[in-house]
Amino acid sequence: MKISKTVSTLMFLPFLLFFVLFWIIPFVYGIYVSFHNWTVSGGNNGFVGLDNYIRILTPGSMYHDSFMNALGNTLYFVGISLVPLVVFALLLALLIENIPGKLKVVFRTIFFISYAVSVTAVSAIFKWLFTGNGGYINNVLQTFGLDSIRWLNTQPYAWIAILAATVWWTIGYNMILFVNALDEVDESLYEAAALDGANAWQRFWNVTFPSIKGVFVFVVIITVIASFNLYGQTLLITEGGPARSTMSLTMIIQNTIFSQNNLGMGSAMAVLMGIIMVFITGIQYMIGFRKDENG
Amino acid sequence: MKQSKAQKVILIIIATLIAAVFIFPLLWMFFTSFKGMAESISSARLLPRNWTANNFIELFTVDTANAPIIRWLLNTAFISFGGTALVVITNTLAAYSIARLNLPAKRLFMFIIVASMTIPGIVIVFPRYFNFRDIGLLDTFAPLILPYAASTLGVFLIYSFLRNFPRDLEEAAYIDGANQLQILRHVIFPSIKPVIATLSVITFILIYNDFLWPLLVTNSAEMRTVTVGLANLVQGANFVNPGKMMASTLIATVPALVIFIFANRYFVKGVNSTGLK
Repeated sequence: MKISKTVSTLMFLPFLLFFVLFWIIPFVYGIYVSFHNWTVSGGNNGFVGLDNYIRILTPGSMYHDSFMNALGNTLYFVGISLVPLVVFALLLALLIENIPGKLKVVFRTIFFISYAVSVTAVSAIFKWLFTGNGGYINNVLQTFGLDSIRWLNTQPYAWIAILAATVWWTIGYNMILFVNALDEVDESLYEAAALDGANAWQRFWNVTFPSIKGVFVFVVIITVIASFNLYGQTLLITEGGPARSTMSLTMIIQNTIFSQNNLGMGSAMAVLMGIIMVFITGIQYMIGFRKDENG
Repeated sequence: MKQSKAQKVILIIIATLIAAVFIFPLLWMFFTSFKGMAESISSARLLPRNWTANNFIELFTVDTANAPIIRWLLNTAFISFGGTALVVITNTLAAYSIARLNLPAKRLFMFIIVASMTIPGIVIVFPRYFNFRDIGLLDTFAPLILPYAASTLGVFLIYSFLRNFPRDLEEAAYIDGANQLQILRHVIFPSIKPVIATLSVITFILIYNDFLWPLLVTNSAEMRTVTVGLANLVQGANFVNPGKMMASTLIATVPALVIFIFANRYFVKGVNSTGLK
C-alpha cells in the first residue's frame, strides 16, 4: 500500500499536539525551573545551577530536613504496603480461582469494586471509621468495654489507618492482574504435578509461581510506584500528622511550592523524586529479569 | 484441580467472610448517611436507629451555596466523558498512523512515547499547573479536560494490538478503493473495539477519580469536580458530621460504582495489558 506522508502525519498530529503541549513542555519547563531561584509570586530570580539540588541533598537547610523526612515516610509506607498489596492480592486471587463458576464472578467483583471509589471518598469513609472522637471503630471498642484508641494522632495507629484505607482501595486491582495470570497457567502442568504426588504447596511453588512470575514482578513494580505516589490518603485522613510522620513526598513538594513560595526548590524535589522512582523501578526490573534467566 | 465438596464449602465460607470485610466500608457509608448527627457520632450500630433523609435534603437545599454537589457531578460527567472521548479519538488516530501508515520518524515517536511512560507524573503536574496559570486558563474547563489527551497509554495499547493483527482485510479494502479514514472506520475500528472499550473504562475512572490535578487547577466552588469538592468537606472545620459527609460521599460515589459494575468485564480483560494503577 502506498500511503501519503501527509495523510499519515495529519492523523498523528492531534495526539502530537496534546503530547507536546501537556507533556513535553511541562517536562522541560519543570527541569528548567529546577535550576533557577524561582518563586511562585515573583517568578524567575536567576540561574543557580545545581544549588537547589545541593541544598536538598546536604544537611543544614529546612528543605533538606523536610525532603528527607518525607522520603523516609514514603519509603516506610512503600515497605509496609508491599506485602499486603502483593501477597494478600495473590492469596485472594488463588482463593477466587478455586471457587466455582458464577460465584467466582461475584467475589471478583466485590473484591475489585472499591477501585471505582475516589481517594476522597475512601478518605472520607476511613477518616470517620478511625477518628478518635466519635469515630465508628472507637464507638465499637467502647461498646465492648475497651479503651478507645487515638488512631489518627498516634503512631503506629495512624499508619495502620492509612494502610487499611489503601489496601481496601487498591488491592482489587492487583488481584485482577493475578486472576488473569492464573487463568493463563497451563492446566496440564497441574495434572502432571498431581501425578507426581505433589501437595498443594509444592504445586504452587513449582507450577503456579514460575508461570506467573512475570506478572508478579510487574505487580511489585506498579505497587511500589503507586505507594511512592502516596498523597490523597495522608493529605485527607491524617493531614501529614501526627508530628509530620505521614508527610509524603508529593505533599512536601506541594508545600514547598505553594506554602514556601519556592517553585525552583519544589521542582528540584519533584525531579529528584522522579529520579529515585526510575532508579528503584530499574533495580526491580533487573532483579526480576535475572531471576527469570536463572529459572 | 479436583476438590472435595467440603473443601469447596470451606473456600466459599472464607471468601464470604473476606467479602463482608470488603463490603463493610460501603455498607457503613450507606447506612451512616441515613443517621442523624448525634447518632452517627455516638452509635456502634451499623443500621440507623432512627432513619432520616435530612442529610440528603440539606445537601440539595441549604448546602448548595457552599457545596453545589449536583454542579460538581455535572462538571465531573462533562470532564470524564469529554476527556475520555478526546483520549480515544487522538490515541486511536495516532496508534493507527504509527502501526499502519507512512508516518515519518515513527520509530522515534514510539520510543519517546514508551520512554515517557517511565517518567512519574509528579515531574509533570506542577510545571503544567504553572503553564496553565501563565496563560490565564486556571479555573476553566480547559485544564480539566485537555491534558488527559497527552496520555500515551491508549497509543501504546492500540499500537500493540494492531501490530499483531493481520493486514489482509485492510489491503482488500484498499484495493477496493477505500481511503485511510474509511478503512479506519469500517475495517480497523470494528476489530479494535474491545481495546477501545477497555481504554474508555480505564480513562473514564481515572479522570472521574483524579484528585491532585483538578485540586490544583480549580479555585471556585462551581468549577470543582466531585472528587475535589468532597475533599473540602473532609478537611478542617467541615469535618463534624459523619452522617452528612457519608451522604455526600454516597452521592459522589454511586455514579462511578454503577458505571464500574456495568463495565467491569472490559476492565478485567484489559487490565493486564496496561501498567496503569
